[in-house]
Amino acid sequence: MKKQYFVCIALIALLSFVSLPLFSQGSKDSAVDGPVSIDLWYGAAVTEAGPPPADWVGFDIIKEKLNIDLKLTTLPSNESDQDVKIQAAAAANNLPDLFMVRRDVLARLVSQGLVAPVDDLYEKMPTRTATHYNEVSRNHTKFNGKSYGLADPGSIVKNEGLLIRKDWLDNLGLSIPTTTDELLDVMRAFTFDDPDGNGKNDTYGYGAFQEVNNYEAWPGRRLEPILGAFGVEGTWDMTVANAGLTILKPEFYDAMVYLKKMVDEGIIDPNWLAYKKDDFRAAWKQGRFGIMREQNAAFAAQSNYAPFDKNFPNGEWVVMDPIKGPKGHASIGPYTAGFRIYAISAKAVEEGKKEKIAELLEWMASDEGYYLLGWGVEGVNYTKDANGIPVADGLPDPDLAFSGPVGQTVTQLRNMVFYNGDIELYARYPKYITATSKKEMSALDVLRTMQSKQWTPAIGSDMLPIPSADLKRFYEQGLSEFITGKRTLNRTNWNTWIAEFKKLGGQDWNDKGVAFAKENNLLNE
Amino acid sequence: MKKRRRFTSVAVKPTAADHSFNFLVDLFLGLLLLIIAIPLWSTITLSFRPNDYIGNNLEGMFLLPWNWSTSAYEALLGNAGFLLAFGNSVKILIGGVASALLLTIPLAYVLSIPTLPGRRYLNLFVIVPYVFNVGMIPTYLLVTNIGLIDTLPAVYIPVAISTYNCLIMRSFFEGIPNELKESARIDGASEIQILLRIILPLSKAIIMTIGLFYGVSFWNNFFHAMLYLNSNALQPLPILLRNILMASGMNEYVEVSAFGDAPIAAIKAASVFMSAIPMVAAYPFIQKYFTKGTLLGSVKG
Repeated sequence: MKKQYFVCIALIALLSFVSLPLFSQGSKDSAVDGPVSIDLWYGAAVTEAGPPPADWVGFDIIKEKLNIDLKLTTLPSNESDQDVKIQAAAAANNLPDLFMVRRDVLARLVSQGLVAPVDDLYEKMPTRTATHYNEVSRNHTKFNGKSYGLADPGSIVKNEGLLIRKDWLDNLGLSIPTTTDELLDVMRAFTFDDPDGNGKNDTYGYGAFQEVNNYEAWPGRRLEPILGAFGVEGTWDMTVANAGLTILKPEFYDAMVYLKKMVDEGIIDPNWLAYKKDDFRAAWKQGRFGIMREQNAAFAAQSNYAPFDKNFPNGEWVVMDPIKGPKGHASIGPYTAGFRIYAISAKAVEEGKKEKIAELLEWMASDEGYYLLGWGVEGVNYTKDANGIPVADGLPDPDLAFSGPVGQTVTQLRNMVFYNGDIELYARYPKYITATSKKEMSALDVLRTMQSKQWTPAIGSDMLPIPSADLKRFYEQGLSEFITGKRTLNRTNWNTWIAEFKKLGGQDWNDKGVAFAKENNLLNE
Repeated sequence: MKKRRRFTSVAVKPTAADHSFNFLVDLFLGLLLLIIAIPLWSTITLSFRPNDYIGNNLEGMFLLPWNWSTSAYEALLGNAGFLLAFGNSVKILIGGVASALLLTIPLAYVLSIPTLPGRRYLNLFVIVPYVFNVGMIPTYLLVTNIGLIDTLPAVYIPVAISTYNCLIMRSFFEGIPNELKESARIDGASEIQILLRIILPLSKAIIMTIGLFYGVSFWNNFFHAMLYLNSNALQPLPILLRNILMASGMNEYVEVSAFGDAPIAAIKAASVFMSAIPMVAAYPFIQKYFTKGTLLGSVKG
């Protein structure tokens, strides 16, 4: 009987071991004389659109012209998932040859010796370097005096603006507010005087949602124009004279009083604490509020503007100047230079792939690579208009257009070639006539107007130290309690709370941030 | 001939306390139903919301069906990436449940044999890793070193045996009368034959129940897919679903979204709903086993 038991156990073990190779299809590198295999983990341009198809013409061109067998892996859409995937691969010394990575993860990989310096690559890629990299981008990836990543240009800077419903102002006989006091009056009128004339009490002055990041702390980006009026926009003051956390400045209290007034009087959409980005964007399209800070394309791109145009053919948003505060301050908010960092693994360098990677990146910056990765194949995914700008018109299959559902898959690598040049912007934001109101719109014109407004330079403020989770919670919870009335907002309470904040680590956070900014020459005159 | 005792049912008139108790139970269950049904209904109605809809979420839940739009579903079903991801998820589901049951059943059976030499140590061998998990990095190294990285089995082979499920199954097997196994052995059956011909036919309920547990976990497995799958062609539904739910590019960059003109919120809701359909559809067929299986597994002897 014992023998049978052992046979049974042996069978289970055998089954387990035998099944593994059956399933396994481990990938092997290319043959010695064949094309050089390069694994690229990239951030997709449109995460939900799917990767380039297996028969994408780009693979053949790259293999034929550069002798490179390019293997693509789309990184997860969420940054923390990206970090986990990269760090797990790093722990197994299994990093891909070329990969997108966030700066703080890159710093860890540098300390572990898993990524290679790229200083020598800049001169090997003259075309790319001319359009993609500058002093700021090189400094962004510099550790111990060496650049460990290629920081490509990220999103367009200063691409948001303060918008106001011009049709509501006209209905109420008001003009665009310029000061904080005038803004209060307009917000009150938008809330209580039925600006859309529908006979219902269903509108509010200001609309927002909580959107915070390293350099735009709570209450976040959507309320920066209000904070800017008091000179406390952004998490950090990046000037030499007043460097430090803005929350420690006395004017922050004044901004809080103003925000509390907006909340108490009910002139800010009360859902601003509950809205997510999609809810906020659905709300302005439904005519719920008349003043907001919004991004140019999210506001004016054809598909984004269409619902508003249909709902309110006579509606009109205009980009306004930032509001002036009591001391004359005005700002839409802080801006920083966003980068997408691509790093090269030390393993890839050991395998002699560095030159090939430089060759690949330089080809991407050539006309051929730029148009292929940015827009696809001419005549299939795009055509050029009279000015040489890629457009989605006149294609045999509109679905394959670079902006169409299928065409987007072949331009997933466009973030590796785009640098916010004029051609890209013209192609990205073409002029169009709205379907219902028949007015001409251009997200590019809107962008140019938004960029012409007053912003606060804060380059590098997104690299400054971040607070501990507990301190961040204390910061955000405290401010929200003051604004919503759970804590009484007066000078005494505010000073007590600030003292507590400093004691809990706020002062240390401030000091470290200022020291970092000074060390890295990030402060402005 | 034995006299059979006859029982007659006696109708007991419910008291006021019984009525009150029943009312409270009904109220509780009704509330529970609402808690489950409202978010579900909200998701369904959101997925059918037209692009030109004006109103808040609450009003949207009462939007009449003839005002619904199927554009989100049309966009999803017309998207090659969605169909590919759905197919990969089905492969993971089938491969995962099959391999998990194939490995869990024999292990549970072996552990249930009281006379097995070294049974105590074997039990420890199973339970210790359950209590002290080795963590992500060693598992990642193992998966890489045995060549499973970037293959669909990487998502389910490392988690093919769930200790929890194995212990439930072991308890169930221990509850099967030993006499049945003994008589089979007397008739000359081997242990494999006993397992296949005696134990398994008596264990449909627990197999279906554990199979459902495994199925749900493999269907929803995002983390392992994210970690171990690199090839774009292998990405399963949870990855795509996450990408859709996280998508911001749809609003801020492109003129036309990856899913055409359908509203973004509707696309998100439709993808959540569609990814839940297979599990929701399977449950009624397994329910009768499920109820029985969970109860049987909990009682030993």
